[in-house]
Amino acid sequence: MNKGLAIFLFALFGWGFGGCGRDGQLTEAKKNVVMVEVTSQTWDYRLPWNPGTVSSARGAGFVIAGRRILTNAHVVSGARYITVQREADPRKYPAKVKFVAHDCDLAMVEVDDPDFFRGTTALSLGALPELESVVSVYGFPIGGDRLSVTRGVVSRIDYNAYTHSGRESHLAIQIDAAINPGNSGGPVMQADKVVGVAFQGFRGDVAQNVGYMIPTPVIRRFLKDVEDGKYDHYVDIAIRWMTLENPSMRKYLGRPDDGLGVVVTDIFSEGSSDGILQKGDVLLSIDGHPIESDGSVRLQGQPVQLEEIVERKFAGDPVELELWRGGKPIRTTLKLRPAEMFSMYEVLYEPPPRYVLYGGLVFQPLTANLMGVLSGSADLRLRQTYSLFGQDQIYRDTPEPVVLSSVLPDPLNVYLRGLAGQVVREINGKRIRTLTDVEPALREGGNRTVIRFEGDQRPAVLKKTEVDQAMPRIMAQYGISEISRAAVEGRRLAKGSYSRSEGK
Amino acid sequence: MKGIYRYCVLILLGATLDGRSVGSNPGEPTGSLVRVRTSIQPYDQFRPWQKKSPFGLSGTGVVLPGGKVLVTASLVANRTEVGLEKPGSAQKCAAEVEAIDYEANLALLKPSEAEFLKGFAGVSLGANLKAGDTAEVWQLERNGEMIRNQAEILSAGVGRYPSDEAGFLVYGVRVSLPKRDDSYTLPLMRNGQLSGMMMAYDRDSQEGTAIPVPMIEHFLKDSADGKYEGFPTLGVSWASLRDPNLREEVKAPGSGGILLTRVNPIGTAGRAGLREGDVLLSVDGFKLDEDGNYRDSLYGPTSIGNLVRTRPYVGANAKFRIVRDGTEMEFSGSYDRRARDEVAIPTLQFDMAPRYLILGGLVFQELTGAYLQEWGDKWSERAPQRLVQLFSFQQELKLDPKKKIVFLSQVLPSAMTAGYQHLSGLVLTGCNGKPVGTLEELAAIADGATSGDLVFEFMDDPGKLVLDASEVKSGGDKLGKAYGITSLRRL
Repeated sequence: MNKGLAIFLFALFGWGFGGCGRDGQLTEAKKNVVMVEVTSQTWDYRLPWNPGTVSSARGAGFVIAGRRILTNAHVVSGARYITVQREADPRKYPAKVKFVAHDCDLAMVEVDDPDFFRGTTALSLGALPELESVVSVYGFPIGGDRLSVTRGVVSRIDYNAYTHSGRESHLAIQIDAAINPGNSGGPVMQADKVVGVAFQGFRGDVAQNVGYMIPTPVIRRFLKDVEDGKYDHYVDIAIRWMTLENPSMRKYLGRPDDGLGVVVTDIFSEGSSDGILQKGDVLLSIDGHPIESDGSVRLQGQPVQLEEIVERKFAGDPVELELWRGGKPIRTTLKLRPAEMFSMYEVLYEPPPRYVLYGGLVFQPLTANLMGVLSGSADLRLRQTYSLFGQDQIYRDTPEPVVLSSVLPDPLNVYLRGLAGQVVREINGKRIRTLTDVEPALREGGNRTVIRFEGDQRPAVLKKTEVDQAMPRIMAQYGISEISRAAVEGRRLAKGSYSRSEGK
Repeated sequence: MKGIYRYCVLILLGATLDGRSVGSNPGEPTGSLVRVRTSIQPYDQFRPWQKKSPFGLSGTGVVLPGGKVLVTASLVANRTEVGLEKPGSAQKCAAEVEAIDYEANLALLKPSEAEFLKGFAGVSLGANLKAGDTAEVWQLERNGEMIRNQAEILSAGVGRYPSDEAGFLVYGVRVSLPKRDDSYTLPLMRNGQLSGMMMAYDRDSQEGTAIPVPMIEHFLKDSADGKYEGFPTLGVSWASLRDPNLREEVKAPGSGGILLTRVNPIGTAGRAGLREGDVLLSVDGFKLDEDGNYRDSLYGPTSIGNLVRTRPYVGANAKFRIVRDGTEMEFSGSYDRRARDEVAIPTLQFDMAPRYLILGGLVFQELTGAYLQEWGDKWSERAPQRLVQLFSFQQELKLDPKKKIVFLSQVLPSAMTAGYQHLSGLVLTGCNGKPVGTLEELAAIADGATSGDLVFEFMDDPGKLVLDASEVKSGGDKLGKAYGITSLRRL
């Protein structure tokens, strides 16, 4: 610890003086950077009852205070067995995932054996680095087995897509040091502080010398979020807004030509702003920060998108808004909530795929994962249901569209195979709004089960007695041990406003 | 649709002579074929005020008795000029299109000089061919000599045509065609009579498709009175009724019949009284099997498409026998095209200049299939999803067939449209509080507003855009000049 402090001081006096700072940094890195070896299983959404394919990969991580190890979510997602190993200790210690945050690609890993931490000093987090300042990336990329270090400068600090989740964007720092597979989860250091976690880059044929790291504000938010023992999710104000740069539009809304304000163009029902904001409201300030007409606010002198104000907050936190409605200024406060209605677009990693099997018909909820395996063959209606789910707020009526994802051939369903890929509307007269509706609905009705689909498809009709007879045969034939896995279990779903208006 | 056209251009339009001379026969009938050269210039759907670069096509037309020339419609689609050329000579003559049917892919040309084809005997329409029959595909050499390529009819059944989603009768033809000019349209002949028009050919498999006699006959008869009406349509979607469980559910009788899964109320079937859920047993006395086939006297089991689209003419009586809720019933009506023609978003848009209206830099267009196709082969993935949805599901969404879908296709950046320049693909619902169902309605509202705001209301985010009415009026000329657009509207 003493040594760490000394280096820190050195750095304060200007770490550019020479090698001292970086030498110390290397010593610290050697003590605290760990190789993370993971054997993981990836679910197969084509065969949702199967445990999936097993693969092994290597990433990096680093020890922080409290005997915690930080790494990327994508390093440990789907992990079945994890070992960690330090440069100074040849032993591989079993580890397990304590928290995983797929939306910001961070995870915390635990090791039970106290021996593992002998000689570690724990790295501490720094601030946002300056543009053009030098950073060092530690990890275990392809090319060898020992700790590797590469150096680069900070090229850009901006919002960027976090590809692991499939839909999230957060602050990310672009650096020109090479980041390769195996670097993921490793610390990016400046002096003796961690200024980021290396997490993504481009394939060599797309761009070179472009690597990205997760900056410390995002890491700190993650650490704070898990303080209560579980990871929640990012929250969202769940609106769409448009810049207010057009003079005629400004005049129409009764706004002076002061270059301030954006206009609210859509409010997602069930979101944080539902019932609080209205279409046509002009947002003037957020938590006291004036909003420019291009949607930016100034944070420490830097222009950032107004969403950045919400980025560091948690569910239940208030946001103060100043807005202009009907020619009058209004002050209001909204309470932040997660935006479950967009969760369909998130790639799912841990939870097993959900399904219901019925006479060889496989029903699955529409998810990013399912679209991933159907992408080539998905018909227009399915693609539209997926792409318009958020925009058209389909979730209000159908929080989880159910798809007849495949038909396992059996004499029973010989005429039904062409129906694979259709979106289920109702079963035995019951509207299907989530996968959990399927099984109860299948038990309804007389001796025939009638499944109707969206659009002008013919219905699927099956005799209940025939299905009952066929199920053991089909399950044996296709190696399926469970008829269904329908419980929502942790999947974040929109509530579905229909339940308020018409009951369930 | 577009893919098939391109396919024709690539495969049939080989301009090089490969030196093979196949079956050139000095004893061929003269005065039956003529070269047809067309200059094609499609409209640019993304820049509706202009056309795309022109290109030429050349094909071989069939001279009919009476001096008119039959070609495929794709040879003359979006033409600026059509010319006829006598084989083996340089004599040329302009021609005009007398009748054209893009669904049936047929067009009838008339030379503008009445004397031009004097002395041409012309060929008459031959008998229907069936699978196994032999025929010839005729081509012209540069010197006017005829190449007669032996062909075999592989199949005769309902298949897809280049510009139509529904099917018509089509011949599958096996033939080995040498590369020649003028191959975009070629006649299929038998015993010196016309048996079909080749419309696509794949050089690798040496197989192609031809428009058969019944289609040509229908087209020619229809156009004979100078008023072309086209091929009728039922206006239904249907499903096979092979599944015994489904038959039981819809109370279908022991055998035969198809399930109507959607019925357009303004179409032939809808106006006759047919409804969704009916089991259609027979049409005009022809019984349908579970897959929608009737027994054709020549072709055997043939799809209902031929029965209801090629056989009858617009205006003919239609008779339907159905089962509804277990009861057999009969309905009658008359064949027409309303289900096809009276739609909010038309599919076919050849030769037609896209309509548009530019207001202060906001470019409004009416949605058409042609606009969506401009997005390429993967248009349904690449075009704005709202437009794709409205087009693809227009019946289900019950779009008013008397209205059009007016949408903001793009924004020309200007001082007036500052802050709007990134917007596109937005469906307009109203302007200044009045609903907008056509471009004319929008123009009337905009022209009527001389001062104050023009508030455009859209179906989707951002919902509203505002322009200053007087600025739109006064700034029009400048905008047109800046972008080189001579007219800010085509209504």
